Amino acid sequence: MSSYPSTNLRVQILRDERSRTRTNSIDPAEAEKEEQIDPLTAACRARYAQFEKAIAAIFPSNRPCCATELTVHELLGIEEPNDDEIDILLPNGVSKDGEKSAPVIRARRAEEDDDYDMDEDEDEVPPPPPPPPPVQKSRSPIPPTIQISSPDRTKSPSGKDSATVTREKLEADKKAAEDAAKLSFSTMFYTLESDRDAMLEQQKLDESDRQVNAEANAQGAPGKLSNANLGASSLTLKHLIARIDAKRERVAVSDMELRNLMSEVKKNRSKWASEDKVGQEELYEAAEKVVLELRAQTEHSTAFLNRVNKREAPDYFNIIKQPMDLGTVMKKLKQLAYKSKKEFIDDLNLIWQNCLQYNGDPKHYLRKHAIAMQKMTQNLIPLIPDITIRDRAEVEAEEAGAHDQDADAESDDEPIMSSRMNRKAPGTSKSKKGGAKPARTESTPEAKPPIVNIQGVPDIKARDSPVPGHMLAETSGLGSQNGFGSPALAHTPSNGLISTLDLDPASEKYEVDDDLDPEYKIWKTMTKKARARAASERHKLFRGTKINLDEPALIRTRVGMGRYIRSELAHGDKDAATKDIKAPLAVAVEEHAEEEDDLLPNYYKILDGVPELPHNLQWLGDDGEEIDRYNENLRLGPKAAFTQPTTGLARNMDSNMKMMQDTRKICHKIGVIKQMQVQTQVYNNQFAKYDPQEFVEREPEDFLVSDDGPVYCEEIQRAAFQRSIAKIFYHAGFEDYQPTAFDLVTDIATSFFKKIGQTVMLYSEAVLPTGRFAPDEILLHTLAENGLEIDTLESYIRDDVERLGGKLVQLNERMRAHLADLLRPALNDVENPEAAEEDMRHFVNGDFTDDIGDDYYGFKDLGLEREFGMSISSGLMRVLQTRINSNYQTQSAINPAVPLTEYKVPPPFEPLSRDILKDQIGLVQNFFLAKLHANSDEPLIEDEDLPIKQRAPKPRLPPTGKITTPRKRPVSGQGGNSKKKKRPNPPPPVATKPPPAGSTAIIAPTATPPLSEENNGSGPKFEEKDLDNTPGMMSPESIMAV
Amino acid sequence: MANDRFKYKLEIQQMMFVSGETGEPSPETTGIIEDIVRGQVIEMLIQATAQAARRGSRSISTDDLIFLIRHDKAKVSRLRTYLSWKEVRKTAKDQDRDVDTADLVEDSAAGDALKMRQKRAKISLPWEVASYFSEQPPEVDDEDDEEEAEANVATLARLKSADERTKSMTKDEYVHFSECRQASFTFRKSKRFREWAGFGLVTDAKPNDDIVDILGFLTFEIVQVLTEEALRIKDAEDKLQTSNKENDKKRKRDRFLFDGPGEGRTPVEPRHIEEAFRRLQRPRAKSKAMRNFEGGGVMKTRVGLM
Repeated sequence: MSSYPSTNLRVQILRDERSRTRTNSIDPAEAEKEEQIDPLTAACRARYAQFEKAIAAIFPSNRPCCATELTVHELLGIEEPNDDEIDILLPNGVSKDGEKSAPVIRARRAEEDDDYDMDEDEDEVPPPPPPPPPVQKSRSPIPPTIQISSPDRTKSPSGKDSATVTREKLEADKKAAEDAAKLSFSTMFYTLESDRDAMLEQQKLDESDRQVNAEANAQGAPGKLSNANLGASSLTLKHLIARIDAKRERVAVSDMELRNLMSEVKKNRSKWASEDKVGQEELYEAAEKVVLELRAQTEHSTAFLNRVNKREAPDYFNIIKQPMDLGTVMKKLKQLAYKSKKEFIDDLNLIWQNCLQYNGDPKHYLRKHAIAMQKMTQNLIPLIPDITIRDRAEVEAEEAGAHDQDADAESDDEPIMSSRMNRKAPGTSKSKKGGAKPARTESTPEAKPPIVNIQGVPDIKARDSPVPGHMLAETSGLGSQNGFGSPALAHTPSNGLISTLDLDPASEKYEVDDDLDPEYKIWKTMTKKARARAASERHKLFRGTKINLDEPALIRTRVGMGRYIRSELAHGDKDAATKDIKAPLAVAVEEHAEEEDDLLPNYYKILDGVPELPHNLQWLGDDGEEIDRYNENLRLGPKAAFTQPTTGLARNMDSNMKMMQDTRKICHKIGVIKQMQVQTQVYNNQFAKYDPQEFVEREPEDFLVSDDGPVYCEEIQRAAFQRSIAKIFYHAGFEDYQPTAFDLVTDIATSFFKKIGQTVMLYSEAVLPTGRFAPDEILLHTLAENGLEIDTLESYIRDDVERLGGKLVQLNERMRAHLADLLRPALNDVENPEAAEEDMRHFVNGDFTDDIGDDYYGFKDLGLEREFGMSISSGLMRVLQTRINSNYQTQSAINPAVPLTEYKVPPPFEPLSRDILKDQIGLVQNFFLAKLHANSDEPLIEDEDLPIKQRAPKPRLPPTGKITTPRKRPVSGQGGNSKKKKRPNPPPPVATKPPPAGSTAIIAPTATPPLSEENNGSGPKFEEKDLDNTPGMMSPESIMAV
Repeated sequence: MANDRFKYKLEIQQMMFVSGETGEPSPETTGIIEDIVRGQVIEMLIQATAQAARRGSRSISTDDLIFLIRHDKAKVSRLRTYLSWKEVRKTAKDQDRDVDTADLVEDSAAGDALKMRQKRAKISLPWEVASYFSEQPPEVDDEDDEEEAEANVATLARLKSADERTKSMTKDEYVHFSECRQASFTFRKSKRFREWAGFGLVTDAKPNDDIVDILGFLTFEIVQVLTEEALRIKDAEDKLQTSNKENDKKRKRDRFLFDGPGEGRTPVEPRHIEEAFRRLQRPRAKSKAMRNFEGGGVMKTRVGLM
């Protein structure tokens, strides 16, 4: 809508712009500049500016100050005064639009260049110095420089000497650039990427400073500070002086008074001041400033800060005989090694020259820097007063001679600056140059610029080289002239050198400068220090990639906040302005405003903009009483956020698991009972208690939340998830798991659920032509995408949960029945407790447990008593006895309930005696005969009939289940004896006892010898031995029988 | 033609016949089926061996094999039935030898039935509920066979269709059919099967008899599934063709009484088998799920077990 006409407008603007550019180029004043800047480039720039404005118009701000009601005419109106009053308009132009500043500045520079060139031409035109005008001569004690000032210069409105003018211009320039940069803050956002470089460069600079200081200190006392009178350099007080000069007419004080005042102010100002050395303070003050300024150009100066290291450039000292660097210069300054400006400047130039010489390759990157530095040096040189340091005594003698003339010559109109210079620095040859113009006019800025081009060099030459000559001419009659000759001599070659070197840079000049957006360059140079500081402060807050906890907290400053509010006010933010709290603060802060010197846009000062925190987060009650205001926000976290619900599937699964535990308990009992029946002896704690606890999901401890929404805590969530997984595992039949497997499953499940979540997200965000997916659609899609079907889930619930539950119940019942079956004999016993009681007498172990009253075997734990209504002492023991009884061959323990009693006990064997021996089979007759013989023909007694003590202990399988040692070497023929003895059991008591054929066959090789061996043994002993061996053979069988 | 490469032409034909293929399939068809079956068997053996290795055993057990098809409950149940009956048969045979043939006929029949019922041991699998517990209660006969019945639905359906088919058969045809039903890759050809399936290469050379039997059972199932799927495909194809034909020309002529016999059913062709195999190999969504959001891509290299 609105953009359509505006496009037309813009086109028109562009056309206007271009035509104007063309007319400009015709303008003779701009001719030179236009040669340098290609008209096409200019046009492009103009167009660029135009577009920038258009952007502002397209995106209007509703804040009054930023509102750009840019009409075409306004745009043009801003551009128009470009030609004439550019310096005056500059601030406005810039303030209107930051982007403008760059072209404007450039334009101004060009003008200044022009001016300068003219000066220079004029300077050079009269190579032989014309005779000095008497007026000027009479006015200064040392007149020599006067004749340098050309006719034009004397005519020129600026009454200052050139140094002052240059200085002021430099300052003004700087200030303008600063302003421009400041103003561009509001319109341009510069990224922070160059901050790091700035910081690093600054660090280097600081380091070099430290180094120089250290070296200087190490090498002796610094400059004497004791002397007062010589005052500070013009640079320190230049603002004040300039101001006074500008408003000289309005100051109703005499010159004399002013001068006194100044000297008062300047008292004790400089560390360079020295009683003995005249001119030292001024020279060194200025020189130091220059060096500092040069060093501050960190973009270029980095390479020159310190001495070249031999390691970095091994052949450097072969090529460069006189190495020099800024650090050394500084050091020399501190050691007061310079006697004159020239020496100092020579040293500076030497640095660049060395660099250019060593790095011969025109493409070398250092050349660029060297040239830039060189240019900078040329710009700064005029700041240094051309002073040669002399001893005070000498000067005083000189002054005494010149005094008369001097006193008269001073007119009242003479600006304070020049007069001061005259008086204070008698040694300066240059200070007189300015002539005697009383006041500064508005055109000051038009005067010589701080020169960006090389032509400054001839200028120096023009200004400097004549000086010695004049000095010589003028002061030939006055005292010593030492020190003058040599500078004069040294001068020429050095100048020559510079100019030859300059040929090179001249060609490289543009490629050096033009590779950056000029505006950006200004921004960079102006804010470098501040940015470096900000960056290093920021840097301090971090250690590695972590926040450095040791750093003090960031605190908002009053000044900063005030600044922020002010900028808000300036922006027309009425809200900020009307706030009661803020308004006074803003006012209060006004006075501090000027202290803020760093040129940084607001976005470097984030803290200032942090809004006030809401009231309820404040901490009140400093007087020991803490009023806890957190209650309003914090509350207990929701319950049951991490436990499973007690409904639905979970309930089923829980009951299944309970059933499993129950069944396992029964299994355990069955196992214990089975084991007991196998073993005759049962040990305490043999059976680990099995008493599984019911699964209870514990809540995490109470926690606080400050917000609605899901509670998020990864560890707890993972733990809860693992708990659920563990339950599912248990439900699937696992009793325990390896932690690694468990973790793995957790991870897989986590990833799977993440995928489900993602799929749900996708579908809920997806837009169909008909709208969005319905929730159930989303769910179905998600399931399908993740390989789940309703059927699968359903069958899981049906088969693996519900049906499993059924099966478990069934199994549980069967298991119970099984257990009951196992216990049946005992249950029957309960019916006749007396018999049971009787039996218990024989069961020693049972007895003593009864006495102790202890649940020795942990039967109580088994809970059988409860279940079957048995008493532990009677019933249970009987269960065990069923087996034990069967082992007692004597059947002495009568168990009426046991069906064994139903058949008749066979009569006991008749003891073997000689009478029945012949009824035995022939094979064993000898054997028995031997035994009987050993037994002195007494009848042999059966094993079972022996008193218990005489019986050989029956070896049992130890609990380990291993047969440790074969008790004795197996005796053949007796292996089956005990059994065979009983089985055939012929009613006649004389047993034939046939040795089993099978066993002899198997143990054939050893069969016969033992027999004969044992025949030698004595009767009862032999009997025992025999018995001894029997069980050894039996034990495997007994295992089998069990 | 490397006819000797294929060793089970006849068996496969018989199996296909039982599975519903009426025509006589070509050697190419049976050859393809044989290859597929062989691949499946080998794959099963490899996986079962891996499973056994994980268990810490070098030779595979029946459980390893059954584990591979555990998700197909119907098949597992059929297999169990098969195994338990096999058990019964074996014991019955032993007993037959013992028992005098002079026993009364009805007596022995009744006794046999009783014995079978008793002896039909349940094949328990390690992942079943009973194995959750350390003690096993004695078997109870009155198991609820709800699950089994459910699992047997497919078997019953199959039996029913076979019944339908045999209803109208002549005696000879029925004999032929029942002969065909006995076709097996393994029955009485254990050695041939072992060579064919690469025993000794993929697993130990002397497998348990049960394993061979299970494999025999499974191979029959595979052929059956393949044939059924192929028949379905072929039916669909035929239907499409006839409908096309009908659309082409509106039935040139009606059929008359003395027309020659219509073209009989053509047998299943190799392409049908291939298509059936492809369809049966289609990966299930379940196995793809974990690759969602992770780049997907082709991953599967193994043959899916049918």
